[in-house]
Amino acid sequence: MSGRSERVRGKLSYAEAIREALDIAMDRDERVVLMGEDIGVYGGAFQVTGDLFGKYGPERVIDTPISELGGAGVAIGAAMTGLRPVFEFQFSDFAALAMEQIVNQAAKLRYMLGGAVSVPVVMRFPAGSGTGAAAQHSQSIEAWLGHVPGLKVVQPSTPEDAKGLLLSAIEDPDPVMIFEHKLLYKTKGHVPRGHYETPIGEAALRRIGHSLTIVATSIMARKSLSAAEELARQGIHADVIDLRSIRPIDRETVLASVRKTGRLMCVYEGVKTLGIGAEISAMVAESDAFDFLEAPIVRLGGAECPIPYNPELEKSVVPQEPDILEAARNLVQGRI
Amino acid sequence: MPVEVIMPKVDMDMASGKILAWHVSAGDEVSKGDPLFDIETDKAAMEVESPGDGILRFPVDEGAVVQIGRPVGWIYADGEVASDPPGGIPSSKDEFRQSVPGEATADGSRNNISSGPDNISGKFRASPLARSLARADGFEIATIVGTGPRGRIEAKDVRNYQARRESEADTSDALAVSESASGTGTPIILLHGFASDAKSWTRLESNLGQRPLVRMELPGHGRSQILKAVGFPDLAATVRQTFDGLNLDKAHLIGHSLGGALLLDLANARPDLVASLTLIAPAGLGPEINGELLAGILRATRSESLGPWLKKLVADESLVTESYVQAAMRDRMEQSTRAAQEAMADALFPDGVQAFDLRAALARVEVPTRILWGKQDRMIQWNHALRAPGRVAIHLLDGIGHMPQIEAPEEVARIIEANL
Repeated sequence: MSGRSERVRGKLSYAEAIREALDIAMDRDERVVLMGEDIGVYGGAFQVTGDLFGKYGPERVIDTPISELGGAGVAIGAAMTGLRPVFEFQFSDFAALAMEQIVNQAAKLRYMLGGAVSVPVVMRFPAGSGTGAAAQHSQSIEAWLGHVPGLKVVQPSTPEDAKGLLLSAIEDPDPVMIFEHKLLYKTKGHVPRGHYETPIGEAALRRIGHSLTIVATSIMARKSLSAAEELARQGIHADVIDLRSIRPIDRETVLASVRKTGRLMCVYEGVKTLGIGAEISAMVAESDAFDFLEAPIVRLGGAECPIPYNPELEKSVVPQEPDILEAARNLVQGRI
Repeated sequence: MPVEVIMPKVDMDMASGKILAWHVSAGDEVSKGDPLFDIETDKAAMEVESPGDGILRFPVDEGAVVQIGRPVGWIYADGEVASDPPGGIPSSKDEFRQSVPGEATADGSRNNISSGPDNISGKFRASPLARSLARADGFEIATIVGTGPRGRIEAKDVRNYQARRESEADTSDALAVSESASGTGTPIILLHGFASDAKSWTRLESNLGQRPLVRMELPGHGRSQILKAVGFPDLAATVRQTFDGLNLDKAHLIGHSLGGALLLDLANARPDLVASLTLIAPAGLGPEINGELLAGILRATRSESLGPWLKKLVADESLVTESYVQAAMRDRMEQSTRAAQEAMADALFPDGVQAFDLRAALARVEVPTRILWGKQDRMIQWNHALRAPGRVAIHLLDGIGHMPQIEAPEEVARIIEANL
């Protein structure tokens, strides 16, 4: 820690922050191993693992065959027997192939074996739309896994959180699912050096206001923040909560904000119906914060259809900044 | 989705209206703007126009009394199926209707809250916060008129209701008064101008030394309630009533703009109780006033549109900072506040003319009187001051606009202090 260059460095991208977290974790704990399709020599479908294969070799950066079910099963078994595997899916959509291992094994074993084992596996899921990858490579399925007791599910929206939540996940004794929005990989931000952990289950209040509460996840937190800047110029001041973790959910941060603002809007990319917004809305409706509501709750979520390939249609089926602006104005100015 | 025809709010304190007569019958075709029905309120009868094009369906009976914001019928588009009204039809006996809660649908539709009629008999739309406030204070939510969407009772409606009840319990129409905590000597009464409030004295107050201060606020301004009668004689009577309620032996009066005119009227009516009169850019000394500037301020619903007009109130426009404008806009956010001030402006300054003349009152007032005016005033011309009789002191301030108490508080305070 000597000299200016040690203390000051440029911003890192979200993908670089994840790679740095993996590197730090592998360096300090040899139980940490990486698994996934094309994560070794090729460096990962989104170049997240990069050159870690060169640094740690094929024993610790393991290319798995094209079988999500098999790969996930190996990672879970390795976790039960003492390793700390980080398993990368090429696309979160392919979790569907590995659901048996994730839902019926990883999430259940500690419970069913009376605590005799735990499954400290981390699974990384490149997620979301906006890359022109069409219906089978663009979904936001975090709510599927958020429905399963025994899993933890996080959605970092900044490079700093991508690193801190991954380091927390690796330390966690239970399976942690990390959803990384593909459009975020190239976004840059300040990332603290060295090892640090961002607690799982704590939301981040990104902006403080009094007119309404916006609870958003992943890339929608960024879009909401940007919309909130514009809203502020129009005299509408939003509390913007980046949920970061959907299981467990940071109930108190959401409720405290709703008690203050009396107006709640949820913004998320997953399909709106039976999604994260439904959970947040119900949580508020079931709590004392209900008594502070001044207007109906608003949810902005993905449309009830597969993600289209056509880029214009693709944009139209998930909330965009103008949608957030309009919905917030309608909510605050008493049009609903 | 049929267009809802609602009972409009046509005057300030209207809670419900009676359907006198329909101009068209159920099944008739109407166009937007056609006369649809006549209503009668406590104060007036008026014609209501159609809000859309289509076929009128399910009109409520003539003679029915309907709360404002609640539907009295629906206009269906040509060919739109209308087997049932969007949620149970009102009758003349029952002004509230079946609830059609907004449904979350799995078919891709937006989460519209149903815009159909609502309310199971005897139930009211009210926000949870409004309900808990009403519950905490122990009164029936049903007694409150909602001003939110579809007549929803919101927290502000409950608070306004509370404030109204409190002030009614006090004296009928008295203005809100705030007093400084300490000070000795003859008290100073401060009355702000139109579309302002007691906060406009803050800068002057810190220069006024240790005298007790009593700030009044005009109806529909600051914390004062909205009054129905807003002509100059009504306002002057309210100011007198509020002043009498203070039971002071003697007071110095300082009024700005409209507040100046009202305190001049007060000094004329209560000469024995007034120690001195200071008029800052007072209204009432001539017909001219900048109607465009008044209208611009009244019209503004956002800080972006308010700011440019506020800047015209001062000579040095850098005084009007963005945060100042935002604070001013926050005070004007309530639609009811803006509506009340518009009604006042319409009565006091019709067509951009000062409709009241206090030159005769100024000629009669014998207490020591001075007029302060900024020579760059763009609201009321400073040369109105020249119409004052010879014993009135006139202070003309260079490089100052319509708000000397904000633009040059030290100098204004020095002039006032020297004469107290």
